[in-house]
This record gives sequence, C-alpha cells and structure tokens, in this order.
Amino acid sequence: MGSARVLLRRVNGPGVLTMLVLLGLWEALIRFGAIDFQNLPAPSAVAARSVDLVLSGELAGNVVHTLRVTLIGWTAASAVGIALGVLLGLWRPAWRWSMASIEVLRAVPPVALVPVAVLLFGFSVRMELLLIVYAGAWPVLINTIDGVRHVRTELLDVATMLRLSKLAALRKIVLPAAMPAIAVGLRLALSLALVLAVVAEMVGNPRGVGNALIAAQQALQPEEMFAYVFTIGLLGIGLNAVFRSVAARALPTPAPVRRRGR
Amino acid sequence: MTTVPVPVTEDATGFGEVRPSAPRPRRRRGRGGDAALFPPLRGLLPLVGLMAVWELTAPDHSPYFPPPSTWGEGLADLWRDGALLPAALATLGTFVVGLGVATALGALLGLLVGAVPGADKALGPTLEYARAMPPAAVVPLATLLIGYDGTMKVAVVTSAAVWPILLNTRAGVRQLDPVMLDMARSLRLSPVDRGRKVFLPALLPSIFLGVRVAAPVALVITLLVEILTQVRGLGALIALSQRNYQAARVYGLILVCGLLSLVTNAVVTALQTYLFPSRADG
Repeated sequence: MGSARVLLRRVNGPGVLTMLVLLGLWEALIRFGAIDFQNLPAPSAVAARSVDLVLSGELAGNVVHTLRVTLIGWTAASAVGIALGVLLGLWRPAWRWSMASIEVLRAVPPVALVPVAVLLFGFSVRMELLLIVYAGAWPVLINTIDGVRHVRTELLDVATMLRLSKLAALRKIVLPAAMPAIAVGLRLALSLALVLAVVAEMVGNPRGVGNALIAAQQALQPEEMFAYVFTIGLLGIGLNAVFRSVAARALPTPAPVRRRGR
Repeated sequence: MTTVPVPVTEDATGFGEVRPSAPRPRRRRGRGGDAALFPPLRGLLPLVGLMAVWELTAPDHSPYFPPPSTWGEGLADLWRDGALLPAALATLGTFVVGLGVATALGALLGLLVGAVPGADKALGPTLEYARAMPPAAVVPLATLLIGYDGTMKVAVVTSAAVWPILLNTRAGVRQLDPVMLDMARSLRLSPVDRGRKVFLPALLPSIFLGVRVAAPVALVITLLVEILTQVRGLGALIALSQRNYQAARVYGLILVCGLLSLVTNAVVTALQTYLFPSRADG
C-alpha cells in the first residue's frame, strides 16, 4: 500500500496531462479535418494498429530481436571500451603513442561507416553487431580513460599504504573511483547502441524494429509506421530508465556530475 | 551520436589546483596548456602504421579494402563527374540551416521551460520522450509527411540537434543572477524587453555551449538522413557508391566526412573562444 502511494506521488500529473492533451488535439484535428495530411493517421488509428501488432506477436518478435542485438553489442562495446580505457588511462606510454590516432578515428561519424559495413558483411546480424560495438566503444573508452586518470591522489596513496598489488589496487580502488565517469560513458553507449541497431536494421539487416519501420513505410501503412516509431521511442526511454535505476543502485554514492570528454 | 569534446575544466589538465592569484596566460596558443588537452602527435604512429600495412597488403582493386592510395583517385573521379562539390555543399547547407533552426528553437523552448513556472513539469515527459527517440526513426516519418527534399533533411536534423541547446539554455536560465532579474522587474521592463535586454545577453554563453555540443550531432544526423533517403549530399553519395561496389570512393568520401567533422568542430570551438573567451575553458 505504502509503496503504491509513493509511486502515485512520483507520477508527474501535469506532464501526463500535457501529453494526453497533445494527443487529443492531434486526434481532434484529424477527426474534424482541420489538417489534411493524407499520410498522417489519427492517434486512435495508430493505437488500434498497435494492438493488432501486439496480439499477432509481430511487434514482440521485432522488439526482442532489436533489444537482444542492442544489449549484446553494448556489452561487448563496454568490455572493449573499459579494457582499453584502463590500459590507456593508466599506462602513459600507451596513451602517448596512440591517443592522437584515437582522436582522429573518433572524428569519423560512425553513421558514415554503415555503408562500409554493408559492403563488407552484407545484410546480416554480424554487420549490425559490429556497427554497434564500434560506435558504442568510443564513449566508454574516452570516459574510462578520463575516469581512471583522475582518481583522487589520496585514494591512490591508500592503495600504496596498504601495499596492494597493482591488480588489487585497480580492482579495489581505481575502478570503483572511476565508476561514475565510466557510467556516463556506458549510458551514452547504450543510447548509441539502440540508434545504430535501428539504423543498421533500416539499411541492411532484414529483421528488427528498424526493418519493420521501413517495411511499413514502403507498404504505405502510416498507422503501422507510427506504431513502430512510438515503440522505438519507448525502447529508448525504457533502456535509459532501466540503466539509470541499475546505476543508482550499483553506485554506492550519488554520482557526482562529471561530464568530461563525452 | 558522436563523442563530443566537452569543455575541459581546469583541474583536468592534470596540473593540480588552480591558483587564481597567478593565472597562466590562457589565450596563448603555446605548448603549455594545450599539451595536456591535445595528445602528442607521435600518437598518430599506429594509424600511420595501419595505413601502411593496408597499402602494402591490399590488392589494387579490392572490392572491400582498396589501398588508401586509391581513395584519392576515387575522390578525383567524383570531382570530375561534378558530383563531389554539390554534394558537399548540400551536406554543409543542411548542417548549417538545421543547426541554425535548432539553435533558435532550442533557445526559445529552453527559455520557456526554464523561466515559466510549471512549464518544465508540464512539458517534461513529452520532451523527454521526444528526446529519447532515435533520430533514425524520425526519418521515415519526415519523408512521409514532408517528402524527399531539403526541408525534410533540415527537419530531421533540427529534431536531433535541438536537445543539447534546449537543455543548456534551461540550465543557463536557472543559473541567472536573481539580482539581475529583480533589476529588470524594478525597471518595469516589458516581457519583450526583458527577453531582449536581460535574458538573451545573459544566456548567450549557455546557448552557445549547447550549440557546440549540438554541432557534431547535427553533422552526423545530416549524413544519416542522406544515407537513408538518398536525398543529395555526401551521405547519399556514400550509399550510392556502396551500391555500385566502388569501395575506393566510399573510403574517400568517409575521409571527407571525417575532415568535415574535424573542421566544423574546430570552427565552432574557435567561434566560442572568440565570442566568449571567459567561458571557453570552463
């Protein structure tokens, strides 16, 4: 009972109301023919089509595929980014001899590489995954380098004083201290992973919500298209919310605002 | 979309704490301050090595990994066909107009959300949802409603680039000096005058910080729209070359995109340093 009331209080009344009013306005404008875009369906029509898609299991299948690829790719990107970031952040020669290359490579927009990925790997899940890992690794890498380089010196002194081995110091002191910065990179990488998954599905891989979106567009079914657009938006906001609540629970202290080198 | 160079704070240079009594000359383009921000150039060696290995091992007409020396020829072909320059200009045009519209819209919305009590709470969820929407998903929507043209491109770019500007403006509004606001009130400035004479000058640095973050986003989304819709521009040219298996052109064009992104970033950063010297570093 108590938790339900807390939950109720956290619901943003005016915010939800605004959303409903906007949707109502949209519906009314279509109903009364005030705007006459031939391709703009009313929200009620979109909702009806969404229910069909949910009941037929089509939506769920596509969502599961996109979510799975996004999460697998993101996990791999995080592992690569953190591992390389620790190496480059703590070992100065490695940083000196490679950071400029990284800055140059980072300047190439990952989106521009989509055609190359299609060229190299064809229309496949592998292409989708590689794009996600490539694009997602950068923010994790940059933030990890930044995080491990700026651990407070007192903390490092503690490690020295306790005579921790290098590995133990890394595991017990450096990584936990760098976690807030790393978490920022992980969050950016997660939203990037979803974006790249959708793009890859739109361009190349014939599965997932991105592909369903394009298919609906080409079949001239605006209701279905809007249903998928709304679904993708929900995926984005859902992934972000889950990440935030997990991070809030996993990070011991409220993460200080560190937005360096996103 | 991309990783964005966010202003680095003083202590991030690794020189320890800052002593305000003895400020280092900040504007100098010398070695001292910049060395910590800019990694040493010898770090380019791995990239150069990679390119060399690529050049030496790849077969001359590889459909997948054409050696870097052929990229230039690919670009030269495009130039002779008269395709490269118009495409680059179209991309640049969409980028500039999209960023401009996003700046105006973002500043306005940010001001509204930050200054009008209740607006933040009321609009929050809607804006939050719109922000979480991957720009790629907006593309089919925009093509359906607007069509395959320049307006559609600008609309999609705006929809993605508006957020950093909106958020930074909102944050700027909240940090405004209350004394200044009281002053405006006691002078009985009209709302229009208050916006023009008080808010706008005080908020410009925040807005520009948002523009700096939004600029790379705008460029990426411009390319994305062009790749997805084939409406003319560098992105469309990349996608077209890929379909014709002209790999050298694809890599050459990607190189151009990378250069474009470096140049636009440098220009925006330089503009910021020039316009707001005090804020540029912090």
